[in-house]
Amino acid sequence: MKRRRVGLWLLKVAVICFVLFVIVGPLVGVVLWSFAIKWYWPHLVPQVMGVKYWVDVFQRGRVLDSILLSLEIASIVVVLSLVIASPAAYGFSRYKLPLEKFLLVIFLMPQAFPQLPIFINIAAVFARHSLTGNMWGIIFVHTMASLVFSVWIITATFRSIPEELEQAALNLGASRLKTFFTITLPLAIPGLIASAIFVFLWSMGEFTGAFFIGAPYIQTAPVMMYTAAMGYNMQTASVVALILMVPAIFFMIIIEKYLKAEYIGGLGG
Amino acid sequence: MRVGTRFLRKGCNMATYEGRSNWVGFFLVLPALLVLLILYVYPLILSIYSSFVHNGVVGLANYGKAFDLYGKDIFYTLFVTVVTVAFVFGVSIGVASYLRFKEWKFLDYMYRLPLFIPFLIVGHAMRVFLARHGLLNMIISKLTGIQNLPGLATDWVGLMLAFAWVLSPFAILIVLGAFKAIDDSYIEAALNLGSSKIKVVWDILIPLARPSIIVAFVLTFIRTISSLTIPLMVGPPKPTMLPVDMMFRINYYNDWGVANALGVVSYLIVIGFAMYYLRFMMVERGGLKH
Repeated sequence: MKRRRVGLWLLKVAVICFVLFVIVGPLVGVVLWSFAIKWYWPHLVPQVMGVKYWVDVFQRGRVLDSILLSLEIASIVVVLSLVIASPAAYGFSRYKLPLEKFLLVIFLMPQAFPQLPIFINIAAVFARHSLTGNMWGIIFVHTMASLVFSVWIITATFRSIPEELEQAALNLGASRLKTFFTITLPLAIPGLIASAIFVFLWSMGEFTGAFFIGAPYIQTAPVMMYTAAMGYNMQTASVVALILMVPAIFFMIIIEKYLKAEYIGGLGG
Repeated sequence: MRVGTRFLRKGCNMATYEGRSNWVGFFLVLPALLVLLILYVYPLILSIYSSFVHNGVVGLANYGKAFDLYGKDIFYTLFVTVVTVAFVFGVSIGVASYLRFKEWKFLDYMYRLPLFIPFLIVGHAMRVFLARHGLLNMIISKLTGIQNLPGLATDWVGLMLAFAWVLSPFAILIVLGAFKAIDDSYIEAALNLGSSKIKVVWDILIPLARPSIIVAFVLTFIRTISSLTIPLMVGPPKPTMLPVDMMFRINYYNDWGVANALGVVSYLIVIGFAMYYLRFMMVERGGLKH
């Protein structure tokens, strides 16, 4: 009996080690590279470690600029996305819409088909209007692509707010607008914040659109990271990767409640 | 009395509020719709149209060239995608079933860790991890003494593992959600009658959760086949996945016609799955009122 318990305990430890290795292992590699100054095979950890490349990234203009540019783009995209998506989400959650089927198809389609051809052709259109190599070109594309999931996250939020609360306010004589701003909006704030963080992280990490529309004049952080990685500058690439990755992991842990995988299916790329 | 009529008047308003077609709602949706029409639907139509235009002549020349040059890549893309979906299927059913029977906070947090990590960074992490002299091979060499292990990072297996690493969490999330929505009583009844847990998964959980499971794999399929960044970072230089071919076609040859033809090919590959996804979302979760 006792032997069996020890066996089970060992099995559990083995499973935990395996899971940690599979999930955390690839991330540990990036962390080690970001601190590696000298790392030759077959040493398990770098022979010489230090914060040299971290200091470099935060001092050297080009890399830091790309991170700041990504922050700026992501912030503007969050604002645009919330301003455009919230009314649409309210419409979807509270009204019987004309042409509803058509609208749903349009708002779900970008998740269902490959987006790369879209980005390529937007780049072609933008080139004619000198929006390539321009921060605003990237902002427009990110706003479009993020709408598709922010609309559905916010729709789910509005739908979770009981309609009776709004009806009570309306019955007591409040206008539709006042009802929205005093009843619905405050209750929806957690969902709006979740959507905002989501859009922010997505925009920060987006590569494909930023690459085709920004290149070669404008480099966002992911494009910078790609260039560094392709040039075998593993350290710089790893530092930028970590800066982009840590908020994503942290967010995942706190966001739990708003995870609706079907709506965010089209993320990544 | 006055309060009463006022209530009634508002009551009438409520009726239209919930009533038939309402253009107020449409105008709320309009700005977002315009953004999507201009920046999604228009480029979509353009991509299909330009795939037929070769040197100013409308025809199938781009498709001929695309199949000549990238026929092998089309099959390779399908192959990697199907293997990835099968792998993700196994992992997600396994993990979701385990977590359905037994709560384990550690695994619950662990499986979700990769969820929001941008694909490009996953590609970079996997490229470093699976390299010939990467962390994985180093650890295996240290543990077993085997030297000269192959570098998975430049192999389709590494590419498949990178996809599986980042896509399994989504599949598990969807499948587990569907499993949890199934009432305990079904499971307990079967267990009391002597079914094994594996039989419960196969005969009760999977059939009852079928629509969600299919959606999980439709999404896995679509995301694998449309990803540019992961095959850009991981996998052999040749053959490559279609998105990488599209990118090279444009960056090195400035050949938009063939790139768009490849794009349309990828639309055609996913169209059946996309339709299923759209129908599922519209009926079950989408915007339709209940």
